[in-house]
Amino acid sequence: MALRIRNQRQDFPGLSRRLAKDRLFKGGVFFLSMVTISPIVLIIYKLVSNGYRQINFDFFSKKAPDTYEAMVAVGAGEIIPGGILNGITGTLFMVLIASVMAIPLGLLIGIFLYDQKTKRYAGLVRDLVDILQGVPSIVLGLIAYFWVVKTITHGFSALAGSTALAIMMLPLIIRSTEETLKMIPETIREAGYALGVPYHKIILRVLIPSGFSGLATGILLAISRVIGETAPLMLTALGSMEVNLNIAKPTSAVPLLIWEFYNDPNMVDLIWSSSLFLMMIVLLLNLLSKQLIAKRT
Amino acid sequence: MNPTKTVLVLASVVVVLITAGMMYSLTSGAIPVFKEFGLRFIVSSEWNPTEGREDYGALPFIVGTVLTSVIAIILCFPLAFSTSLFIGEYYRGTRMASITGTMVDMLAGIPSIVYGLWGFYVLRPMIVAFGWSAQGFSIFTAGVVLAIMIIPYATSITTEIIKMVSNDLKEAAYSLGATRREVIFSVIIPNARSGIFTSYILAFGRALGETMAVTMLIGNSNIVPKGIFQSGNTMASVIANQFGEADGLKLSALVAIGLLLFVITGIINGIGKLIIKKYSV
Amino acid sequence: MKNLIGILALAVLLSSCGNSSGGGDKKSKNVSLTAAGATFPLPFYNLAIKNYSSNTGTLLTYGGVGSGGGIRSLTDKVVDFGATDAFLSDDKEAEMPAEIVHIPTCIGAVVIAYSLPGVEDLNLSNENLQDIFLGRITNWNDSKLKETNPGIELPDLAVTVVHRSDGSGTTYIFSDFMSKISSEWERVVGRGKSLKWPVGLGGKGNPGVAGTIKQTAGAIGYIGSEFAFAQKIPVAQVENSAGKYVTPSLESISAAAQGEIPVDTKVMLTCSSDPDAYPISGFTWLILYKEQAYDGRSKVQAEETLKFLSWIIEKDAQALAQQVNYAPLPEKTVAQARKILGSVVFDGQPIVQ
Repeated sequence: MALRIRNQRQDFPGLSRRLAKDRLFKGGVFFLSMVTISPIVLIIYKLVSNGYRQINFDFFSKKAPDTYEAMVAVGAGEIIPGGILNGITGTLFMVLIASVMAIPLGLLIGIFLYDQKTKRYAGLVRDLVDILQGVPSIVLGLIAYFWVVKTITHGFSALAGSTALAIMMLPLIIRSTEETLKMIPETIREAGYALGVPYHKIILRVLIPSGFSGLATGILLAISRVIGETAPLMLTALGSMEVNLNIAKPTSAVPLLIWEFYNDPNMVDLIWSSSLFLMMIVLLLNLLSKQLIAKRT
Repeated sequence: MNPTKTVLVLASVVVVLITAGMMYSLTSGAIPVFKEFGLRFIVSSEWNPTEGREDYGALPFIVGTVLTSVIAIILCFPLAFSTSLFIGEYYRGTRMASITGTMVDMLAGIPSIVYGLWGFYVLRPMIVAFGWSAQGFSIFTAGVVLAIMIIPYATSITTEIIKMVSNDLKEAAYSLGATRREVIFSVIIPNARSGIFTSYILAFGRALGETMAVTMLIGNSNIVPKGIFQSGNTMASVIANQFGEADGLKLSALVAIGLLLFVITGIINGIGKLIIKKYSV
Repeated sequence: MKNLIGILALAVLLSSCGNSSGGGDKKSKNVSLTAAGATFPLPFYNLAIKNYSSNTGTLLTYGGVGSGGGIRSLTDKVVDFGATDAFLSDDKEAEMPAEIVHIPTCIGAVVIAYSLPGVEDLNLSNENLQDIFLGRITNWNDSKLKETNPGIELPDLAVTVVHRSDGSGTTYIFSDFMSKISSEWERVVGRGKSLKWPVGLGGKGNPGVAGTIKQTAGAIGYIGSEFAFAQKIPVAQVENSAGKYVTPSLESISAAAQGEIPVDTKVMLTCSSDPDAYPISGFTWLILYKEQAYDGRSKVQAEETLKFLSWIIEKDAQALAQQVNYAPLPEKTVAQARKILGSVVFDGQPIVQ
């Protein structure tokens, strides 16, 4: 008995059209993805080509130069002396404190929203969180000015800066936590309940590990967002010429330094190297989190 | 009550307190200007900061904000969504996906001033070359840069959500003979709809509140633009521009604009959520 | 994971208890000063502060948040002193929580920068400026411009006016000058830190305006003098009250302060009567409370504040100003400033002897 191998296309009418759509769509996705990464390539190129000369050991270990030193160097065609140490320490310091404030809180609230899904109060909280995401960073700076600079520290301080940054981080962490947890199959959670596991253990041992990748992404995104913010820090941390690790005193940050360099006619060239630095930190965090995720799964 | 649940509820109260506190601070700061101009403030196009003849209106900024953000999200959507599918579905797990994902995430770490500068030195001449605008400062230019800025927000979260769609569902569809595209549209998207939509709401919120990059590219004219290739201004931009020097009635006007931004974000988010509700039923 | 959080929390706690500040290389005392305000004199203040900090070990932080921000910060008492390019009128002074004094620190100028390929030298009469910035002259080959610039080939190019989109002292000085030379300008636009401009594009900050001018052929705008000098942007010669066309320079800017200066130094230096003066010049001031014993402020803090202020008006600091293209205070104004500082008290007792 001979097997008749029939042409699939005769058996399944419309298959060729479906396959064509499939290929077309894949091509479209590929093309648009390449379009998406083209700006990043262009921007990285610009930053590297303009900034690489300023990056040397001094960059990481010296404080920002003053305008006269810069003027002399630019006039002589040399690279500008000094570095951004005061900015680096300030950024790390404030982002660390902001993270300590925002990450636990954001996770908890995200879990809350996931837990309460459809209740009215949870809906209200969710809407408020989404609105919070739209507040301009300068308004948050103003709020932190009123709440912290005026009332708590009676002066510009790192705490005020961290507060503004923490509020900025919250919506991203909260919502990505909630959405990630929603994607975890119900069965896993129910299995935990069935075994009599107390709720807080379910969160810590079941939900968070299952959703680790999504949670880490939300946190990473939030940190990336605040690491480059300028406007709120202008009103809260003010800036500083020295390295400062005192939470109640003004402190510098890399984006603040970039803003100062931009506004000073002699130090404009430093903005590219400083921006490159920020981007590299984000890259580092990104790679670290990918490692962490890979280890977990 | 379960102690864990208590902790969760307490945590949620913090959000309510923060937003309520912010609304209170903004409202009390905004009262003087509403007392002076009443609700006319919202629809007036006047903006005269000269002492003695002060007259303020928020309309040009409202229009500018809405236009730039809408342009941004429209441009961002196809790009971000494709990239999410690229990383999370088509090339999932490959080197290429990993590199692409990292490159997109790096976009989120670039300070907004740098976006403004890049837009000023690279994008603006392109727009002038295309002949769309004489100097390149326009709503459209700002919208394009905003689109690039918000791509990582939309992409990252959507990618994670897409990756988390259960394999069982996808394999069931494949076993029924679905093509990849069909699996995406009939299984992945419906399943991940909530997460995808949320990521775009967050991206849109980011666009609404962006300050620095917009202010360098939009031309800063305090008038209602007649077309997207005209210059204009946005709420966040005018606050950032004028805040350093403002006091008295002008400061109140800026705070009022901040308050209005709050309200408008809420309205637009609300409309979006309603639309989604309609589609999922 | 828990251990990590515990360690992080401990680290944060420890660092906030500590009060280490300063690079650790200088003899840092426990007093640090904070100030905020104008961006117009920022290059000078940055240099001066760095110098002062490294010589005395007193840490001083200055934030360029804008004159309004400086006044606000002083009102809120979150800084030791503020900086402003536009002095507070008597009414505004009365609104402050307590009496304040103004200390002038240097003289800067606003220059008219332009971008005209091939044109190195440009004279602009008062009428020209009025017409350009009111939008009446729209092309560079306008006959009125040709009149003030005989012998210069002016191209057929549209005029693009560039102004500041953000509020600034630079705008205040410029509009004050314009109001003095043109009654029409005073009527239509007026003076202020931010204005309703009849024509033109807005650029953010001096770099925004300078960048736009450089990139747009046919553009003309006003920027701080330090900016133009440092970036070598061509500037126009402006007509002063004696009818001379003056180029902005340290000499011509200093000449603007040779006239009558009131005891409290609150005066605009625009359109100075001195025949060599550059007419768009202005002081910039530091403001502080006359009675320094407020809100639990320590005597040491007040003394350190006065020490710095006394230093910045004297020769060493003023020489630094010149290095970065700001004009130093004339001798008689330095004397006036000393007198004002002498009137600042702590609990009724003068701080500076």
